[in-house]
Formats: sequence, C-alpha cells, structure tokens
Amino acid sequence: METVAVIFGGRSTEHDVSIITAIRSIIKPLELTKHFRVEAVYVSKDGSWYWDEKLKDITLYTSGDITGFLNKHHTLNVQFDGGLTFFKTSGITGRKTTQKIDIVFPSMHGTHGEDGALMGVLDMANVPYVGCGVRASAIAMDKVLAKQVVQANGLPVVPFVYFTKDQVDTEPLKCLKIITEKLHYPLFIKPAHLGSSIGISHASNDKELQNGLEVAVHYDDKVIVEEAVHNLIEVTLPIMGNNEPKPALLEQPLTSSEDFFDFDTKYIGGKKGGSKKGGVKGAQGYSQIPAKLPKQLEKQAFDLGLAVYRALECSGIARIDMLIDEKTGVVYFNEANPLPGSLYAHNWNRAGVSNVELVSELIRYGKERFAIEQQLNTTFKTSFLQQF
Amino acid sequence: MINQLLSLYSPHYPKILVYMLQASEYKIGPYIAWLHRTKNFNTVSERRTLNLTKPARLLLSALGLGILAQIFAGLLLIYLGIWHHLAGGIVFGVAVLISYPLLWPYLLLIPLLLGRALVDIPTETRAAHQTQDALAQHKSIKIAVTGSYGKTTMKELLLTVLGEGFTVAATPGNKNVTKSHAQFVKGLTGKEDILVIEYGEGAPGDVARFAQITSPTHAVITGLAPAHLDKYKTLAAAGKDIFSVADYLKGEQVYVHGDENVQPFLKKSYKVFDEHSALGWRVSDVTVSLGGTSFNMTKGKTTLKLKSGLIGAHQVAYLSFVAALSRELGMSDEDIKNGIAKTMPFEHRMQPYRLHGAWIIDDTYNGNLEGIRAGTRLLKTLPARRKLYVTPGLVDQGEETEKVHKIIGKLIADAKPDMVVLMQNSVTKYIQEGLKGYKGEIVLEPKPLDFYTNLAQFVAEGDLVLMQNDWPDNYS
Repeated sequence: METVAVIFGGRSTEHDVSIITAIRSIIKPLELTKHFRVEAVYVSKDGSWYWDEKLKDITLYTSGDITGFLNKHHTLNVQFDGGLTFFKTSGITGRKTTQKIDIVFPSMHGTHGEDGALMGVLDMANVPYVGCGVRASAIAMDKVLAKQVVQANGLPVVPFVYFTKDQVDTEPLKCLKIITEKLHYPLFIKPAHLGSSIGISHASNDKELQNGLEVAVHYDDKVIVEEAVHNLIEVTLPIMGNNEPKPALLEQPLTSSEDFFDFDTKYIGGKKGGSKKGGVKGAQGYSQIPAKLPKQLEKQAFDLGLAVYRALECSGIARIDMLIDEKTGVVYFNEANPLPGSLYAHNWNRAGVSNVELVSELIRYGKERFAIEQQLNTTFKTSFLQQF
Repeated sequence: MINQLLSLYSPHYPKILVYMLQASEYKIGPYIAWLHRTKNFNTVSERRTLNLTKPARLLLSALGLGILAQIFAGLLLIYLGIWHHLAGGIVFGVAVLISYPLLWPYLLLIPLLLGRALVDIPTETRAAHQTQDALAQHKSIKIAVTGSYGKTTMKELLLTVLGEGFTVAATPGNKNVTKSHAQFVKGLTGKEDILVIEYGEGAPGDVARFAQITSPTHAVITGLAPAHLDKYKTLAAAGKDIFSVADYLKGEQVYVHGDENVQPFLKKSYKVFDEHSALGWRVSDVTVSLGGTSFNMTKGKTTLKLKSGLIGAHQVAYLSFVAALSRELGMSDEDIKNGIAKTMPFEHRMQPYRLHGAWIIDDTYNGNLEGIRAGTRLLKTLPARRKLYVTPGLVDQGEETEKVHKIIGKLIADAKPDMVVLMQNSVTKYIQEGLKGYKGEIVLEPKPLDFYTNLAQFVAEGDLVLMQNDWPDNYS
C-alpha cells in the first residue's frame, strides 16, 4: 500500500479553504480507495508543520480545538533521504515514529502552497506529487505573469496594466494616470498573487480606483488592473491530465452581471450568487453546470481553456477561468488556478468522475509526471573539479 | 488476542450483551450463535446501538447488578482468603472475580425465559384467540399473503389497487406475526370490504397457525425461495409450510406466483400467475425505465394499458395479477388503471433515487435469491455510463448457503456490472467463486457502513448502483 501525504493549511489567506479541500475532497476519498495509506500534514498559520492521524478530523478545526492540540504536539521533522521521510517524537518516552512518503498531495491554496513554493521543496526532495509543477504554479498564481504568457501564445486576454506595491505607495497619482490613459472604466483591481477573490475591487471612477489599489496592495506586493468585459458571461473549466489534458464541464457562476465572485460568494453560502434558480451548489457557491452557451462559444471556451492549460505547462489539475463578451463573441482568459478549491469535485461529478476516481486519477498523473522527470539526465560529467 | 480478551472486561460489555439480545429480537438461538461467533466484543455494535426500551433497561439493570454482585463476592472471597491465609480461598475468589464475562451472557437468559413463560406466551395465546374470534365474525374478503419473498410488496400492491374500488385494510409495514395481527385487528372498524393479511413464515407450522387464526377466504403465495433455512432446513419444508394455507382453503381461491420452486406444490385448482399471464390475461409490451414499468394486459377483446411507478420487469407478474384479481372482484378498468399508476417503489425495495447525478437503486431490504435474480436482471437491462453492484449476500440460507451464493455470483457476472462491491463476510468466498470469469473490478469491503455512508464519494453522473440486501450486526 502506497503512502500519500496530504499537506494542507499554510501561511496563506486561504488557509481555512485549504483545510476543507484536504479533509473533504482529498483525504476522505483517498482513504476510501483502500489503495493508499493517507498521512495528514497540517501547516499552521505560523508555518509549523504537524503530522498526526487526528488532523484528519474536521471538528478539530471547526471547534477551535486545533490551537490546544498543536500546543500538546511536536512539530514534524522531515528527512530528505533521496525521497521524503517523516519522523516525529511523541509521548513522555519520546517514542520516534517514521514514515516513508511515496507521493505527496498538496492541498495548500494560495501563497507558499499553490504558488510553487511547496512544489520546489518536493522537487528538491525528489518525491512525486500531485498537481502542477513549480513553473506552472508560479506563473499561474501570478496573474500578471499568467496573462503575459497567455498573451505571448497568441491567446486573448483583456487589456491590463500592473504595478508593484512600492509604485502604488510612492507614486499613486502616476499609477492612476497610467491606468486612465491605457484602460477604460469599469475596471477590476486585483492583488496579483492571491486566489479566492481576496482583495479584489471594482472601480467605475478614479476614487474607487484609488481605493481599490490601496486595498489590493494591503494584501500583495503586485497589483493588476484590468478592463471589465461588457455583456459578461463568466465561465470556468476544470481540467486534469498531463500531456493529454481532459476537461470537465464548463461552469457558469450564477452571479449577477455587475457582481463577481468574492470570498463569501465562493465559500460562505453564496452571499451574492447564493440559491440562484436552476443552479447547483458546488464548492464555490451556486453555478450552472454545464453552462448554457451557444455551441460556437462553448467550443471556443473549451479550446481556449485547453490551450491555456498547455501554454502555462499545467499538469495534474487546474481550473481555467474565462470571460466571455456575449455580444462580440470573444472569449478571454481571466486566470488560472493550479489547485481548484475542493478540486472542483462537484463539476467532475457532473462530468462523470466520482470523488474516488478523481483523486485516484490525480495520483496517477502525479506518478506519471514524476516517472517522466526521472528519465531526464540531471548529471553531467566534467573535469571541472579536477582543476582545483 | 489481548484486545479480544480485554473486550470482555470493557465497561460497555453488559450493554453489548443486551444489544446482541435485542438485535436478535430476543431469540435465544441466534443470540447464542452470535455470542459464540464473536471474538472481540468492542466491534459488535457497528450498525446500531442499544435502543433503551423498557425490556432492555430491565435486562441491563439485572445484568449490571448481577455482575456487581459477582465482583463483590470475588473481592470478598479474596479478602477472606488473605485474612485467613487460605490460598484456595484466594484462588477461588480470583476465579469468581474474573469469570463474570463468561457466566453472565448465559445467566442473562434466565429473566428472559421467565418473562417469556410468564408474560409473553400467555399474552400471545390470548391475543391469538381474540384475533381468531374477531376475524371469524368479520364479513370481509380476507386475503392471506405468504411466500418466501415479495410478501410486503404484494400486500402493498393489493392495498393500493383494491383501495381504488373498495374499503381495504392491510397489516402495516412488514408486521406479519401473531402479535402484529392482533394489533391490526384491534384497529378495524368492521366496515372494511377487504382485509389483506401478511403471514411471516419463520419456522415450520407458522403459516398453518396463522391460517387457523385469521380465517382467510383467499390466499396469495408470492413465491418460494431459500429463506429461513436455518429453521426449515430444506426448501421442501419451507414450501410445505407456505402451502399449508392452500390446504386450509381446500385449494380454492389460491393464487400462486409460478416460480420454478413452487412447481412440486402446484395443484389443478390453484390459479398460477407469472410475468406472461395472470388469471387468463396475457401480458405484453413490457418496458422498464428508472421512472417506472409499463405493460399491456389483454383478455379477449379487452386490453388494459398500465403504468406503475415500480421498476423492473419482474414486478409485472405481481402487478398484472393484482390488476386481474381486482377485475375479478368487480373493479372498473379505470379504477384498476388509476390504482396501478399509484403503485410506487417501497422504501428499500427497488427504490430509485439520485445521488451526485447517479441513480441508486436501494434494494437493501431484499433478502432472497429471487430478488437478487430480479435485481441483476434489471441492472443488465438499464443503460448507464458505469454500473456498480453492491451486496453482502443473503442470510439464513442454511445448508444451501454455498450453492445459493455461487448462483448469486453467476447472476452478478451475467449482469456485467463494471464494479462489484462485496461486503466481506462468511459468504463472500462463495460469491467470488460464482464470479469466476467476471472481467470487471471486485472490491471487498470489510466495513460496510463505511461504504454506505460514503456512497456519494464513489458515484458520479451517469452511474447506476444497485444495492441488494444488507446484513445487520447479528449476521456479521
């Protein structure tokens, strides 16, 4: 039986979302496969790592008992031994427990988890893991970089500009001038590296724009400002696979046209889009699956989603968000999520993939990518050292 | 081994014993068999927990007091042994102290036996006399429903369809023994046109006794299959008991579902029905979907086009018989049509529902081979992206256990599901033998409850899952 370590939590604004993804959508179905021994690794908000069977219990977090639990338990030690081995001491006698990890299933959204940082550690450890690699994660989680890569591949994106926090803090008026010269209202202002719609603002005038910039730099060191799409239909497409990615179903969030997904809508019972007629409640509020689009637009959206997945070199799983101008019929890339909340299992279910099948497939893709990487030559014979 | 031993001294042990007795319906034989089979008493109560009814509370109190008395006696003997320097006394005291988990599972039966002899049997006898008198005077048509399977379904169908044209009363749920018959009779108004009474066969002589008590005017025998063979021993003995109701009626107004097992018991005067014909009506054009079953019935120049909410071609035998009997009893075609349209799946009996876009057919109350045959046939017929079949097998199959489960394996293989989930138990190996040659995936599930409660994790849009039968704790 192979051992899978599911790593979740983390020093990120999406810490709590990551717990739900890990426990409900990854650990539970993985255990039900009976093919894997599942080890839960929780990264606390201060960045300490813990490894314990009890960390699989959701009530530990919902009840707030997690703080007391962490105070009583030792942190996890990691051994890089050509792979990854966990060890920890516990009890009065300091009993040592070790566990060799066969594959890691990252379940950390946002900073340090979804942005490639964790993947870098896992690559260094030479252990297979599920989901996008370092490059794809880092690019996808930087909204500016992602748009630049997609644009460079000849795929459509909405007009945008970006600034560093320093630029916004020191030269706010210059930033405003650049924006109003290059873009037209209404605009969206977003922190460049955050997911789950945290820190996003909508601006229809200079005052709102200025506020939006201040909010965004409060969360991130880089800000992207982009034009809103008129006659908007928002769609999202979960995709899984490595070289031959396969899409799930196009999903249309049931938000009103002037709104957009915010954190509450996505994760706390659909504040804005909640309980919409005809929609299904998924991991992130109410939505329509499959999105009701004209055939041509549907095909365009599928094609763009898959093209972006490839352009960003995604592997394992990702979700590509797109914006459609219903009148002009143009489909724009909006952003990519290398670890969709709850794996977007509700959409995969509708596409005929059960939760158990989903996690099993993702494990398979992780191992497949690792096997390919292992075939690459990582050493090179030289006489460099001999000259010293 | 240590865990097993420690489970005998767990604080929950008395509660577990009473739970075992309650789950065995206070039947001594099954309780003793379960007791002897159990190795670790901490893993007994998986599906349910003790329901603290009045008898359960009384038994638990008696057991608790008894155990405490024995522990006290043991400690006293040890104390006296130490005080008087009697090594034998100490040893005896220790023996008394540690032996309570071995004695009390049996001593617990004493209050039960006393209660049965002094309360239950006299009450039941009195109830039987009262039922007999009340029903003898009731002027209605009294339809007895018996058989190894499908009794509750047949009873509910008769109630629903005949209810469109008559005032009908039927025994509730699957309450089908003397006590429940007595309760049923107490609730009658005397104005009923038809009474439908279900007979639950369990041991030789049961059906004959029920017939004597309830004085039926008609009898419906729903079929014969291996069931309760722990008591009947053979299928022939079960058949003899079930057909004793036909003897009571002297062969008149006896309707028999003509499955292969009833053939040796058939007599000329019996009216046999099946999927193709019922009381002179010919059945045709059967179509089955998850929304229900449609079929036509033709006799002479009359054709009835009927649609029921029940699913499965096997349901047509019962439905067409009920329609034909209703007509024989004088109901109009329109009422029959409406009555059949009102028949819907019963809880846990071929009951379809949606889960994560998948169709689940809950047939977990099905506990016989004919039901398995019908279910696997349905699974084969219905289209789906992926088909899953789930079962623990059947209980109470006696000497037929191995044979029956090999047949079940073959039936499953023939239905060609993509995945077979077997709830692991003593019959799993026989089902696996029957599955030889099956090309799909076989999953052995040691924790059935884990599977049932997490079913949503296993299914997706387009899946079809058929779950047949479920084993309570006392069969695990």
